[in-house]
Amino acid sequence: MTDATAEFFSALEARRHEPLLEKESGTLRFDLTSGKRTTRWLIEIEKGDVSISHRNAKADCVVRAKKALFDGIATGQQNAMAAVLRGEVGVEGDRTLLVRFQKLFPGPDGEKS
Amino acid sequence: MSDDLVKILDGNTFVVSDSRGDIEASMTDPTGLFSFDNRFLSTWVLTVNGERLNPLSVDDLQYFETRFFLVPGTGTVYVDSKLSVIRRRAVGDGFHEELTILNHDEQPADLTIRIDAASDFADLFEVKDALEKKGRYYTKIDKKQLVLGYRRESFERVTTISASAPVKLDKKGLTFKVKIEPQGSWTTDLDVVTAAGAGGTYARPKYQRGKRQARPNMERSLQRWIDDAPRLECDWDSLKATYRRSLVDLAALRFSPPVSGGGRNLPAAGLPWFMTMFGRDSIFTSLQALPFTPELAATTLKALGDWQGSRVDDFRDEDPGRILHEMRYGELTAFEERPHSPYFGSADATPLYVVLLDEYERWTGDRRLVRDLEQEARAALKWIDDYADLMGNGYVWYRRRNEETGLENQCWKDSWDSISYHDGRLPGFPRATCELQGYAYDAKVRGARLARNIWKDSAFADELEREAADLKRRFNRDFWVSDGEYFALALDTEGNQVDSLTSNNGHLLWSGIVDKSKAKAVARHLLGPRLFSGWGVRTLAEGEGRYNPIGYHVGTVWPFDSSFVAWGLRNYGFKEEAAQIAAGILDAAEFFEGRLPEAFGGYERGVTKYPVQYPTACSPQAWSTGAPLLLLRTMLGLEPIGDNLVVDPVLPESIGLLALLDIPGRWGRVDAFARGRVPPAPLRAGRRSRADV
Repeated sequence: MTDATAEFFSALEARRHEPLLEKESGTLRFDLTSGKRTTRWLIEIEKGDVSISHRNAKADCVVRAKKALFDGIATGQQNAMAAVLRGEVGVEGDRTLLVRFQKLFPGPDGEKS
Repeated sequence: MSDDLVKILDGNTFVVSDSRGDIEASMTDPTGLFSFDNRFLSTWVLTVNGERLNPLSVDDLQYFETRFFLVPGTGTVYVDSKLSVIRRRAVGDGFHEELTILNHDEQPADLTIRIDAASDFADLFEVKDALEKKGRYYTKIDKKQLVLGYRRESFERVTTISASAPVKLDKKGLTFKVKIEPQGSWTTDLDVVTAAGAGGTYARPKYQRGKRQARPNMERSLQRWIDDAPRLECDWDSLKATYRRSLVDLAALRFSPPVSGGGRNLPAAGLPWFMTMFGRDSIFTSLQALPFTPELAATTLKALGDWQGSRVDDFRDEDPGRILHEMRYGELTAFEERPHSPYFGSADATPLYVVLLDEYERWTGDRRLVRDLEQEARAALKWIDDYADLMGNGYVWYRRRNEETGLENQCWKDSWDSISYHDGRLPGFPRATCELQGYAYDAKVRGARLARNIWKDSAFADELEREAADLKRRFNRDFWVSDGEYFALALDTEGNQVDSLTSNNGHLLWSGIVDKSKAKAVARHLLGPRLFSGWGVRTLAEGEGRYNPIGYHVGTVWPFDSSFVAWGLRNYGFKEEAAQIAAGILDAAEFFEGRLPEAFGGYERGVTKYPVQYPTACSPQAWSTGAPLLLLRTMLGLEPIGDNLVVDPVLPESIGLLALLDIPGRWGRVDAFARGRVPPAPLRAGRRSRADV
């Protein structure tokens, strides 16, 4: 079984350094729910260096969505900003971090930036 | 839209009502309370004892606050002039209205005061295009509040209405039964609060009941905004009024993109349709306003950089490095029935982004921002070569990939018929309009300067300069209409010239792509009878197949366009010609009480005697608001050279004396003075430092 969300984050973790986030230092947490289960992805960014864990720690920006929807975002089938406008993705804290992070999501053809 | 509508706004929340303060909107009518591209109130009608009110006067207190003085009765006969009604309204996250009724009679007055309220929750796009709603409405009375709601799946928008005085609420409005003693008064505060549902970004009341002082969202008050801008002294009262109007409107059009956060203000494009972030409009306005309010440029650069394209997305016409065209927050965007989340279909915003970054640094000396945005600027420059050259021949081309809701013309003249041959035919796609080549040239030249001086990458600078020189050489060969002695509007896919004569020639002068040997002929056209109306430069020249003096981009005069034409003329040394255009536009401004519309008719000045406003023009509009500012810059010949501001004024005859005091920049603050006509030699600015700069 492939898990698009896990693949997206593990690919990011494998890169260790993400040029598009070079100006960022901060933490983003994605709380993804499927049924009653919530999986947390904590992204710690230090001038583009990225480390990822499942820790339930405080973050500068917390993003909440259904796991199924996020799978779509992680593969480019869903657009993150439109989902925020629909109310399907909730954002708390520093929204600018999410605006910059969303640049990493692929386009509809799965093309990576 | 009609001129007697009253508009107040704060960020992208605005209220448009009639002169009584009432709102009676239909699906296709731009009145109502709007926030984030959704209408939250479409009915708001006040009656006293069943009668509508009559306006005596409207006080525009501030752009976010107004006061309506009313009396009962309709028509010209006042049924009961013993009562006065005052509605004082301030826009916030929703609006706050203080309703006061005065009884001037010697008898007590028993009154039934009624406000009908309703909302159709239309998306601004629906108001423009008259579309059907897909979600469900609800109305309820909840905790002494009237709640109007709309829900479509997880998308929810809610309007909550409450009053401070005892009130009877029903699902269609509010009723007050009051007795006012002789010479007495009655007051209630009304709060209309807009909110979004789960995941929404703007769900808190702005003005608490009873708080009389309106506080706009913008971080600086209007007074401070005006105090911080240079002071204009002049013997022409109309110009002073126009200048003040421009500053106030620019303050009003400041907009803080909700998702970007950080309280950053950048210019939105215009009221009522365009209270949102536009790449092109925000950049042009920031360029116009640089000598006056440089912070707009900084915030525009940062916000557009945050949203820079990063992937290929055909629906949004997005590419890596591309600067957005338009952002929207309404229902149709949320459900991807429109691509504005954001939409990237503009071919000029990306090169202009680099142009603005360089011009900003030249004025402010803010090297830090240029370093911070190096990645964005490089990505923008890369977009020009990697994504815009659709024909692989070294020019910038555009063709939308979103065939359904994308934009056909991705240049500033974006209406369907704006790009035509002399005989009126329309070329196929892709299209390479001439000004895009100019902007690309300028972006490379300026990018090279930034690369060499600030990014310390001289190899990249050399490469950009080589490319710019090559582009200029090819452009002057391929776009030059030699028998007419001007530049063609565009090239078609066959490499043929789209040969009509247009105002775009002025943008080419501004960009610097024009060979010196050709500039004189171009300037002659811009001031010639086919393009210059006496008020400004026509978008399309008289005598072209599609010329129409009230055609949106095919004959009207756009003040913004003319202001860049004037700047272009200045750049090639045509100072008197630039002053002539400045005089025409500033004369026109007088007819609009200092607020230039988006466009006015291209009729000959001698024929109409006054500028004829284009019927549906948007007002105030940011880049029209910015036009007088840029014209002041060009008339004064303000130019940053190194750490100094050079002043080289040439004024039109209508101005005897002009002083612009405290011009901010890398020099601190300096004053510029100009007198009469054509001083013999360039004047140096008086240099003055200030501790707070």
